[in-house]
Amino acid sequence: MDLLDNLALGFSTASTIWNLGFCLIGVLLGTLIGVLPGIGATATIAMLLPLTFQIGDPVSSLIMLAGIYYGAQYGGSTTAILINMPGESSSAVTAIDGYQMARKGRAGAALAIAAIGSFFAGTVSTFLVAIFAPPLTAIALEFGAAEYFSLMIVGLVSAIALAHGSVVKALAMVVLGLLLGLVGTDVISGSPRFTLGIREYADGLNFVAVAVGVFGVAEILRNLENERTREVLMAKVSGLLPTREDFRAMAAPIVRGTAIGSILGILPGGGAILAAFASYTVEKRVSKNPEEFGKGAVAGVAGPESANNAGAQTSFIPMLTLGIPANPVMALMIGAMIIQGIVPGPNVASEQPALFWGIIASMWIGNLMLIVLNLPLIGLWVKLLTVPYYVLFPIIMAFCSIGVYSVNSNVFDLYAVALFGLLGYILTKLRCEPAPLLLGFVLGPLLEENLRRAMILSRGDPTTFITRPLSAALLAIAVAVLVVVLLPSVRKKRDEVFVEEEA
Amino acid sequence: MEITRRTALGLALGAGLAWAGPASAQGFPDRPVTLVVPFAAGGSTDLVARLIAASMSKDLGQQVIVENVAGAGGNLGADQVARAEADGYTILMGTVATHALNPLMLKTKPYDPEKDFSPISLLVVVPNVLVVNPQLPVNTVQELIDLLKANPDQYAYASSGNGTPLHLSGELFKSMAGVEMQHVPYKGAGPALNDVIANQVPIMFDNLPSSSGHIKSGTLKGLGVTTAKRAASFPDMPTVAETVPGYETYTWNALFAPAATPPDVVARLNKAALAALADPTVVQRMGDFSAEIVGSSPEKLAEHVKSETAKWAPIVKEAGVSLD
Repeated sequence: MDLLDNLALGFSTASTIWNLGFCLIGVLLGTLIGVLPGIGATATIAMLLPLTFQIGDPVSSLIMLAGIYYGAQYGGSTTAILINMPGESSSAVTAIDGYQMARKGRAGAALAIAAIGSFFAGTVSTFLVAIFAPPLTAIALEFGAAEYFSLMIVGLVSAIALAHGSVVKALAMVVLGLLLGLVGTDVISGSPRFTLGIREYADGLNFVAVAVGVFGVAEILRNLENERTREVLMAKVSGLLPTREDFRAMAAPIVRGTAIGSILGILPGGGAILAAFASYTVEKRVSKNPEEFGKGAVAGVAGPESANNAGAQTSFIPMLTLGIPANPVMALMIGAMIIQGIVPGPNVASEQPALFWGIIASMWIGNLMLIVLNLPLIGLWVKLLTVPYYVLFPIIMAFCSIGVYSVNSNVFDLYAVALFGLLGYILTKLRCEPAPLLLGFVLGPLLEENLRRAMILSRGDPTTFITRPLSAALLAIAVAVLVVVLLPSVRKKRDEVFVEEEA
Repeated sequence: MEITRRTALGLALGAGLAWAGPASAQGFPDRPVTLVVPFAAGGSTDLVARLIAASMSKDLGQQVIVENVAGAGGNLGADQVARAEADGYTILMGTVATHALNPLMLKTKPYDPEKDFSPISLLVVVPNVLVVNPQLPVNTVQELIDLLKANPDQYAYASSGNGTPLHLSGELFKSMAGVEMQHVPYKGAGPALNDVIANQVPIMFDNLPSSSGHIKSGTLKGLGVTTAKRAASFPDMPTVAETVPGYETYTWNALFAPAATPPDVVARLNKAALAALADPTVVQRMGDFSAEIVGSSPEKLAEHVKSETAKWAPIVKEAGVSLD
């Protein structure tokens, strides 16, 4: 069979000592930058791009760059869980329950769950990439502006389920996020909006800056306010590995998360981050104990972590099969190919089979390396929590600042971190959740852009959203989610009083 | 300013006795040179910059470090170099966007493309290409024009964004060929190209390098290149100008230093740039990339900026694009 031959070629390419070495360097670097808050894969790969000149062999350089990317997805969850600082956009969801688990002294278990979920997702989605890359590309191409708009609607409706307190507050946060997402140049007309005349904000607010601000800096402020409770938390770190019960609780969410992530990851744009949010929503809905979510639910870590890693792997599909970047990291990978004299496009698989299959095989090898690396490291990461906070937080702040600045060399991004840190702190005091805000922030611009593009293409006819079958199906899902979300909240009207009081 | 002058003076005094010729370039460069790329890493301008920088480093004996200062369609990076110290250690990878189009479209201009820079050298010219989805029933530029004329305003074309060179290539085509089509802007060429391949939008002007793989494999139909002459990498593809006489658009990359950079420093950088353009590796990579190597004197680049501004001004005005 062709596939087996191809995979054999891939594995023989990826498992030369030389390529294994680059894969290891990639995942190590990736884990490291993922762990360092604010420093993302995009900036790191951009910095290492010139190095790929020196490496000379395109397969090795791409294997290393790919390793950095999915390694960072692994590492990003570490800080999200330990200090509520999502290192990568997609681990913002992991922070919700992961950090709560850590506060209960179960940081080790949370990290292990994240690692196991990621490994499973990575394995499954790597094989999906190998077997179904071409048909999956065809699905992605079915998505036009109308379909994206409807998908974003599904995402936004689901956002309400992210909140574990009041629905009104969650809605308010989504809307605030949408508004913040409008800052920057309007794609359709080209005019700047809400930039306060600051040209540095012409491309919008930086996601990393907003995420680091509302999650991380806000959390630091909150912790500094009450140093003593923090120390109490430290004392009861117990049990590094997940219990038998945890394993039972995480199995199904991991499988579901992998499925959701694999599908959404193919879509360019917000695919991978949407995957994590979507998985969280699904888990909360199917869970027998939805009230545990937001308070350290195992499924709330396992599902989204699997989804984001699966999404990270399948986002290679459009890049490998079409030469089209699904996100900035993929754009850099394409740049790396061009530097090496490879023209990205649909012919890469047939003209450079060793490169194409070598990268795919290396993704699985890299995932294996990651879990072998990460499980023993958990003990070390957890020890980080015992570092006195007055030592830890200035270090965190320093890395955040370097990381955020390194994305665009833009000082205004640092001002944004400070401002959003303050905003995040105020929101915490008001008991508003930052996660729906981030989701609104990411989806808002995509929603608007695709709505307007769909309207241009349909020449102003709004029925385009229901006459296109895929779009109609997605809108139906959105309505269904809305009904499911609203019904119990009507039923639980009385219970809500308790929620508010408890909050 | 004060410091620069004094440093230059000091160098001139120190070297003046021994050397009759230009003095302040003697020590140049004695530390790494920063090449600001005003776009994100991975794009075509970035790739040209990295190829050139690696080769220039060899000639200069100092590292040329590429720094991406992306944002505001290239204006942030260009503005940063315009205001940098004029010592030749901070230079810009300018493009048709930073030095012709953007200044024409911005009401409040952050910099003057002619007065705020010392031109170093024009480097390469990258052709654009008119591509259509294979399902669109046209095979030549003329057939496309006929189709658009028969169905005015029924077709749309994708671009990498409002006011980008690719958008204006489309506008120029519309006005010169006398056709109507709807403009659909995207955030960058990647997503736009994606939608053309998926036939969500049937027509696009793209940079030849990013479309070439698709044209070769048949996922896109290339109707014509936008340069005056056919591209070396696609000798069989006609030019748009063969059907629409006089039509010419292309993306160009050129090096600029801040205004008032000492002429001998500019000359040294020019020499290094020209050496890089003659480097066999660079020649080969640029060829793979469909970029045509030009190379020029600083004076030629200054003229080029003037003529590009003159060429685009009426089109920008007619298209009614403004960015603030």
